[in-house]
Order: sequence, then structure tokens, then C-alpha cells
Amino acid sequence: MGGLARYLAARAALIVPTILILYTLVFIILRVIPGNPVLAALGTRSVPPEVIQEKMHRLGLDKPLYVQYFDYLAHALRGDFGESMVIEGRSIALDLRDKIPATIELAVAGFTASVLIGLATGTLAAVRRGSLVDGAMRIYGIVAYTLFIPWLGSLLILLFAVRLHWLPAGGRLSPLTELHVVTGIYTLDALITGNLPAFVDAVKHLVLPALTLGIVLGGPYTRLVRVSLGDVLHSDFIRAYRARGVREWRVLLYALRNALIPVVTYMGLQLALLLGGAVLTETTYSWPGLGSYLYDSISMRDYSAVQGTIIVFAFIVGLVSLVVDALYAIIDPRIRY
Amino acid sequence: MYRRAASRRGIGKAAAAGIIVVIIVIAAAAYLMAGRGGQGAGTSPAAQAKPKVVVIGVTDKITDLDPANAYDFFTWEVLSNIMAGLVKYDPDTGKIVGDLATSWDVQEGGKVWVFHLRKDAKFADGTPCTARDVVRSVERVMTIKGDPSWLVTDFVEKVEALDNYTVKFTLKTPASYFLALVATPPYFPVHPKYPPKNISSDAIWGGCGPYKIQEWKRDEKLVLVPNPYYYGPKPKNDKVIIVFYKNAQALRSALESGEIDIAWRTLNPEDIEALKAKQGFKVVEIPGLFIRYVVIRTSQPPTDNVLVRRALAAAVNRTEIAEVVYKGTVEPLYSLVPKGMWSHIDAFKKYGDANITLARQLLQQAGYSEDNKLHIELWYTPTHYGDTESQLAAILKQEWERTGMITVDVKSSEWSQYVSQLRSGQFMVSLLGWYPDYLDPDDYLTPFLMSTANSWTGTGYNNSQVDQLLKQAQTITDQAQREQIYKQVQQILADDVPYIPLIQGKLYLVTSSKVVSLKVSPLMFLLYDTIEVSG
Repeated sequence: MGGLARYLAARAALIVPTILILYTLVFIILRVIPGNPVLAALGTRSVPPEVIQEKMHRLGLDKPLYVQYFDYLAHALRGDFGESMVIEGRSIALDLRDKIPATIELAVAGFTASVLIGLATGTLAAVRRGSLVDGAMRIYGIVAYTLFIPWLGSLLILLFAVRLHWLPAGGRLSPLTELHVVTGIYTLDALITGNLPAFVDAVKHLVLPALTLGIVLGGPYTRLVRVSLGDVLHSDFIRAYRARGVREWRVLLYALRNALIPVVTYMGLQLALLLGGAVLTETTYSWPGLGSYLYDSISMRDYSAVQGTIIVFAFIVGLVSLVVDALYAIIDPRIRY
Repeated sequence: MYRRAASRRGIGKAAAAGIIVVIIVIAAAAYLMAGRGGQGAGTSPAAQAKPKVVVIGVTDKITDLDPANAYDFFTWEVLSNIMAGLVKYDPDTGKIVGDLATSWDVQEGGKVWVFHLRKDAKFADGTPCTARDVVRSVERVMTIKGDPSWLVTDFVEKVEALDNYTVKFTLKTPASYFLALVATPPYFPVHPKYPPKNISSDAIWGGCGPYKIQEWKRDEKLVLVPNPYYYGPKPKNDKVIIVFYKNAQALRSALESGEIDIAWRTLNPEDIEALKAKQGFKVVEIPGLFIRYVVIRTSQPPTDNVLVRRALAAAVNRTEIAEVVYKGTVEPLYSLVPKGMWSHIDAFKKYGDANITLARQLLQQAGYSEDNKLHIELWYTPTHYGDTESQLAAILKQEWERTGMITVDVKSSEWSQYVSQLRSGQFMVSLLGWYPDYLDPDDYLTPFLMSTANSWTGTGYNNSQVDQLLKQAQTITDQAQREQIYKQVQQILADDVPYIPLIQGKLYLVTSSKVVSLKVSPLMFLLYDTIEVSG
């Protein structure tokens, strides 16, 4: 494990330059594209130029760019992401603290949905290889990736919320549901506080966004499971099971266990896509998480908010990749660092 | 191998059984706790004495819950419901009436305004609201110098409390429409907890209006309950919940799925049309003071030529725009001062609608022909005025190109970039919209035509006669005289054409059948205390 520890330490150290590069890129892009937070917030209000100047000064936007760059970086390193440039006095760290649990909840649910959908469709395709079902699943595996989340989300909303009234159209809780927030992950909070109606309500709100993410991100799993399970099903040990009269569904379970290694590998890679998908899913479903926040902040040119969110995103991706790497070594003894 | 697999399977079964037992125990405990503590942590609001709750959905956002910096339509609506001003607009007559002030005196020809306050006004925690709170709040706006501060600082020289219930404003110059200014949020007294020198964007202390904030989760929901110390009539409901949606489609879905009772700003024209035809929903049309117009840069060729600008005005077909783009949800507009406001005249009617013959004549006089076409760059933003904006730009292009002597390049940029380009005068021709700050023709003319105030539009329009007329109208207290001046200014506007008025928007809200009645103020703010819901 010494090798693993060294490897993980090296990987952890790499998170810092990754964040630094991302921060620099975002800082430059934000300043290069026209528009600034003061004008974006004012819009077409007829405000005297002195008021605009005063506000630019208050927000430090009249300082040289390199000063703005290092000022923010110095504060960010201390965990202080500054104040919003649009909602004055609003701490970005507080905003992020509010939004992160919502995104985690959605990401975990979306991730689970994608794996379940991928496993189910992939297994079906592998077992019925060459059939119509296989063809349909293969098409899904390819098409899923090209599906536009807002489009798919709108379809699901129209069907399940507007037509059938089974599920809510957006948000995290119904307006009338009360919940004492502990962690910010509403399903968990509802369980912790023993609030069953709120739990049911939170789950209902989670279903459509998670399903949307699940359908879009489940495609690659379908392909992976289909190929990998197909190979395993034709291997000698499976033939041996069958020869011994083991029931087919049990055979399938053993085969699936062996076919999952490439799937697990892919799970780690999918995290960045999951967070990317969350931005669009959150906007479609009015889900108040990091994705929605980033989208709004970019539209309003809220420099500090965008920078803070990107740093947090990068940190989460870096950290989870690290955990996934560590898990490989634990899951698969052949992997040595 | 098989045996080992079987033993693993055995452990798996035990683990699965354990997990199931744990889940059942948690679920049962949760159910019992929810049942026992239903009134506390549980939800079941229906089980209680059926409070009358109104749920309003919006796509707007709240910027600052602080009148010292808030400067957008929706935040002003919320502030108007949790705070009270010295005066307000009567929703039935549209006239300015006393609110915190019971009466006022105008002295020194409109330079000094003295307001006499009611003695029973209190903030939501029972703290009395006095003249000193008014002075503190107005001075706070002047100190903080936030976005809307000019509504105070441009006019007020000094504000003082003559006693606990008398406030005196001394203005820099007489302002005939000062009452309209005093009705805006920067003049609202705020609770003493608001920091005197800083903006407090998430402040929940409010003012002395009909409601107080019970819960505020930015971008999620705002919960208001009646202010128990409010001096006015008791609100017709027990709670107002405002839910924030990301887009019009989500808002419509929420209404149709029964999650909200009122879909307020802003649904798309298609949604309004569709909901009109659906049972169980009521579409309420609110006469709007919102206007849309074309801005023309007058400082550079080819649009520095007034003949070109007049030709563009003549070729526009407002009826077509209203019908095709907005599905009849708006009205054609022929002046910057909206229809229904005193002094309005249909100044641009002299060009007619889709008057191609006149447009061609004017273009010929300006030296253009079918072989030597006028080239226009028309800018719009797809990210601020809704999904209809690209259609509006496309239809204007068609209308101008129908002259056979104009080619139009349609260009777009997203909102924050757009306003930056606009202010720096980069657009030849662009599309904009305007909501009033205060209800007076001055607010529809001065920001556009006064050369010292119109730099934000990028038009570069400068006419000393107009400047003088507008200044004169600001200081005259006689409305008939002011009306004459504003009519004259509108005539000059139609002659010089730095802007082409297009349409006057109406606002729409759609309610579920649960909503019995509601009222909207002349400023187009929904008055939450007037919303009555059934059971």
C-alpha cells in the first residue's frame, strides 16, 4: 500500500495546479468576453455614469486585472470566495454551501439512475443478442448520448407532470411542504427528522431530473455491459456453470459480476459528465444547485461567483477521481501502483 | 469454486435481509414520528385549520431585499408588499393617495414638501415607524449610493424630521412629480436593523407594509405572512408563497400540474394563448406600461440622416408585429409615452403603418435606390425579452426590406454583452424595452431624449430645444401646462426619430380556479393582500 499512498499523494498534489489552470482560464475568459456585472445587473436602467463608476469601484472592478487576479486567488486559498458582484454583500461561500447539497443529491440520484438503466438495457441486449430488443438497446446506447437534456426534460415534464400529474414539474419540494433542513440533502434531511411526507415529496421531485440524467448518461453503460457481458457469457466458466445445471438467472448474476469491471472503471470517468449534465438538468427542472447557480452567474457576469463555482467544481472532480483511483486498487487486486 | 460462491451467496442473503429490516424500522419510525409530530416537523398543512395560502410562481428573481439597491420590477413588487411608503397608488382610481402620510403640504412653489404621518404605523416586530425612520431610510439610500439612489439624490437636497410624525423634504429644484417619486421603494422606511452604510441583500426585517417575511431561500422560495401590526385592512389570505422557476415552460408546467395558484411574470404569448383555451384557468390581462421600441444611432452615418430614420419609421408595420410575434397580446404604440397616460399622443401615426410608398420616397430623397440600397445592422438580444425576440427582429427585417431599397443584417448578442455594447454606442439600430420607474410622462421622455440622461441608449440624440422643454416641464406644477410641453416633445420625437415606438405590452397572469379575486397596482405590481382564494 506504500505505492498506493505515494501515488495518491502525487494525484492529490496535481489537484492544485489543475484548479489553478482552470481558475486562470475562467478569469481570462470572463474578462475577455464583453459585458460586466455592473452593466448586466443594471440592464437598461437609466443610471447616471457616476453611480456606475461608484459601483465598479466598490466591487474592485476598476483595479488592474493582475491585482484582481491575485486578490481573488489569495482569498480563495483561504476558502473565502468573496462576495457576489450582482447581489451585493452576498457571500459566495454561503451560496455554494447552499447549492452543493442540491447538486450532490441530484448527481447521486442521476448516477444511480444511469447505472441502473445501463445495467438493465445492457443485460437485456447481451442476453438477447441479435434480436430486435438488442437492436433497440444498441440504438439507445448510441442515441442517448446525443439527447439534448432540456429537450428530453421537457418531454418528461409534459408527460409525467402536465398530462399525467404523477410527478412535479420542477423544484426540490412542493411549496407547501415544510422541512427542517439539516444537511441540505432534502431526502436525507427528511429521513433524519422523521418527516415521511417530506421524504416522499423530495423523492417525487428527484425522479424526473434523475431519470433525465440517467437516460442520457446510461447509454455508454448499455454499450459497455452489452459487450462485456456478451463476452463473459461465452466464456468457459459460464459454460461450466450451465453444464452443472445452475439456473440461468444465477448464471447471469455470476457473469454480471465479472462483466462489471469495465463499468466500474467508466463510473469514475463519468463524474465530470455528470456535473456537466447537472448544469442543464438543473436549469430545466428549476433545481437550485451548483449548475443553475453557475448558469445564472455566467449570464449576469458575476465574476466572483463563476470563479468560486469553477474552483469548487474542479475540486470535487479532482477529489472524486482520487477516491475512484483508490477504490480500483481495493476492488481489483491486479492493479498495483 | 461453486461452494465458495454459494457461501458468499449465503452472506449476501443475510446482508440483504438485514438491510430490509433496517429500512422497515427506519420507515416505521419515520412514519410514527411524522404522525406524532405532524404539527411540528411534519408537513400536513391540510390537517390544520386550513389557512388560506396563495402560491405564486415567477421566472423573475429577487435581487436585493433592500430598497437602497434593488432596482428591478419584481423586487420592487415584493418590497411594495412588505413595506409602505409615504404615499401609494390607489389600485381602483390610479391616483396617488396617502399611505404612511395622512396629508402633505407643498411649499415654496414645489421646492419643499412636508408630510404628516399616521401615528399607528409599526414594523412587523411592533417597533413604531416614525418620521425619524423615514429620514434614516432616505439618508441611508443617499449614503449607500446604490443603483436606484438617483431617484433620491437627483432631487432631494435635505430630508429632516420636524417631529415624530412630520417629515420635511427640501428639493434641489422644484419637481412637479415628486409624489410619484416618493411612491417608489427608495423612499420607503426600513426597519432599524438595516445597516446604515451597507446594502443588506438578504434582509428579512422589511418595513411596515401588509406582510412580513417568514422564510427566504434565495432562488427557491419566499414565504410572506401578514404583518400583525399593519395599520391597513387585513390581507385576504394567511400566507403568500412565491416560488422561483427558471423559465416560462417550467412556470406553465407548475401551474398546469397544480403546484402554483398564480403564474405571474412571465409566460410566453403561446402559453397565454393555450391557457386561455384550457378549462380551470383564468387569464387576467393587465394594462401595461411596458413599451418596446427601436433605438437608432443618430450620431453616425447612415442613420444620422433624419430621412433614413423617418423611412424606417414609415416602413414599420406595428399591427403585423402585434399579431404575428405577440399573438395579439400587445398593442401597437405610436409614441414613447404609453397610451392611457396623460399627455400621450399618437405622434408616429403621421407616417402610417407599413407605408412603403412614403418610405421609398424618403429613401430616394436620401440618395438610396434599388441599386444603391441602404444597409442596416439590426441588433437584438435573445436572452432578455423572451423567445419572441428573434421573431421580432426577423419581422422588422422583412418589413424594412419590403421597401426594396433596404438590406438588413440581423445580429444578436446575449444580454450582458448587449447592454455593454448598447451603452458604448456600438449599435446602428437595436431593440429595447422600458418599464417605468415612476408614473409620469417625464419617465418616458427624459431618460430617452434629454441629452444629459440618454447616454445609456447609445442613440447620441441631442436637441437643445427638447432639453429645455423637458427641464421646464419638470419644474412647472400646473399639469395642463406640462401636458402641452410633453405633447410638443412627442411631436419633435416623431420628427427627429431617434427611436421608433413599436408596441405597448400588456402583462398577463394566469390563475387557477382557486383564485377568487386579486388587484394589481397602476405600477403593475401584484397586490398580495388583495388575493382571495377559495378554501
